Amino acid sequence: MIEKITPVRKSILANIRIQRFTPSEHKSAYFDNFKVSVETGMTVLEALRLIKNTQDSSLTFRAFCRSKICGSCAVRVNGKPVLACSTQLMPILEDFKKDSVSIQPLKNMPVLRDLVVDIEPVIEKLSKMHPYLMENRERIPETLEEESIMSKQEHSRFDYITDCILCGSCYSACSAASADPNYAGPLTLGKAYRFSADVRDSFQGERMQAAVDQGLWSCAQCRKCINVCPKDTRPAVSIQRMRKMSIDDGIHDTAGSRRAKAYTGDVAKYGQVNKPMLPVIVNGPKGWAAIEAAENYLKKHGIEPTLQVCTLGGQSSTQKIYDKVKELEAKGENKT
Amino acid sequence: MSETIRYGFYSGCCFQGADARFFDILKDVFAKVDVELELIEDAVCCGSGVIEERSELTSLAVNAKNMAHAEQMGLPLYTPCSTCYNVISNAQKRMKEDPAVHAQVNEILAEQGLEYKGTCKLTHTLWVFAQDVGLEKLKERVTNPLTGLRVASYYGCHTRNPADIQGYESADNPTSLEDILEVLGVQIVEYDTKDDCCGYHLAWPNNDLNMKMTSNVLEGAHTKDVDLMVTSCPLCFKSMDGTQAKALAQTGKNFQLPVLFLPELVGLACGMTSEDMMLKYHGVPVNLRL
Repeated sequence: MIEKITPVRKSILANIRIQRFTPSEHKSAYFDNFKVSVETGMTVLEALRLIKNTQDSSLTFRAFCRSKICGSCAVRVNGKPVLACSTQLMPILEDFKKDSVSIQPLKNMPVLRDLVVDIEPVIEKLSKMHPYLMENRERIPETLEEESIMSKQEHSRFDYITDCILCGSCYSACSAASADPNYAGPLTLGKAYRFSADVRDSFQGERMQAAVDQGLWSCAQCRKCINVCPKDTRPAVSIQRMRKMSIDDGIHDTAGSRRAKAYTGDVAKYGQVNKPMLPVIVNGPKGWAAIEAAENYLKKHGIEPTLQVCTLGGQSSTQKIYDKVKELEAKGENKT
Repeated sequence: MSETIRYGFYSGCCFQGADARFFDILKDVFAKVDVELELIEDAVCCGSGVIEERSELTSLAVNAKNMAHAEQMGLPLYTPCSTCYNVISNAQKRMKEDPAVHAQVNEILAEQGLEYKGTCKLTHTLWVFAQDVGLEKLKERVTNPLTGLRVASYYGCHTRNPADIQGYESADNPTSLEDILEVLGVQIVEYDTKDDCCGYHLAWPNNDLNMKMTSNVLEGAHTKDVDLMVTSCPLCFKSMDGTQAKALAQTGKNFQLPVLFLPELVGLACGMTSEDMMLKYHGVPVNLRL
């Protein structure tokens, strides 16, 4: 027997706080409050259109496809970047247990007016990443009649990023991009990886250098970009993979690549990261200054410093895991 | 006498050097709320998300090993470190979603007679206090409510992102930390930089950026005139307390904001002293009106 489900339709008279700003008129941004009867199923975009049509026609926002495809309507709702067209208000009101919600423009980009930001600076950073394929003659056949074939596994290395719609949500959520205007940000590095991981591409070297120059090692792996991406493209994972590619490509002269090698080697050797010696391993001889500072700090507090690594119990068996993984990777049988 | 809750204790790498004191602090504070930790003897470092930059399979295998040991003990895996929680959760999720990868990892572990079944439960300080111990019992044990103390709460990123690695609370609007703080009696102060990342994991690859990010978070709380910041993440604690002086000096700021690791504040509210909590080892002096 099929049970008939009657959806519960709720309605809450909510206070929608919208950030307003017109650069030519206002010194700084301010909030306007609008009362809206939010019903089950109502999207953020529907609320914005309702306010514009019935309460304030000067309210400015951007929205084209209304289908989660174009990425133009990204805004922050209660601080989190979302697509206005595909995000319902009721679950947010319930999650925050309030009948008030704030809508703001994306962060880390200049505001043109109200909820509309200028994404151009991000696109400029992206253009420096060479976001296109340079044909790899070994994988692309000579004639148009033949297809360029790739295996499922090769395809799966980058398939998940091709869904990126450049909405800028990840860039807005990125604290590293807030603190360093020169950092390329998650979406640009994700795209760089997408092309570098494609077997039909032959441009790895220059693109890799562009990624390193624009902050491949400036991502803190906080993973907020994964949380906010409306298309589940996992930029932080792509950044990890791009870092691996850069080391595999022989770019060893970065602090980040030295850290990656140190951590990986130490865990096999000690079951633990050799923290006391990390400053020298990563930064070379100048790291001794940091070690001395740490030692002085400990002495000041009456603790005897040691350069002995604090091993973990699984130390003895870890090398076996590494050996087995190496064996599988050498045979090309790695299933990750 | 209420029942003791036991966990397999995965220590991670965060409590080394001066921070080794936190082993004792955690043990003592947990004892106040009837929680016992049993060390997972054969654990290895989770790799902090960095081993993935060399080999994802290696990272999955070492963390499956960590979980397999907890499964053998028949206890949930508790780690005080948010990054360990994040990395191990991600490994768990990856193997759950891809049975072929799970099988391959078990093939690797089989050589040392181990199997990761996929049943291991993971938890973190926040949920030990807020859910397992429960706010009611915690409230009973609070003998020294910290009334009037203005506190900025800071979760850090790795117990929140991505949203699907944890099933405990909303990732967009977590409340466990504030729920605990409310029970301790403090006044919670909202501030703008609460959701920003402190940049701890940039300490090696890009230290200047780490300092800027830490400074940004601290300044957001400082402008709200708080007495202290409290964080549930021991790595954020290192950034905010241990490197605070350097971060503020490098960014041209001049203030001091005491930062406490959550178990320390719980201990103080449960009647333990500043000496018990070894507050003298903090980088930024903590002078509380208790």
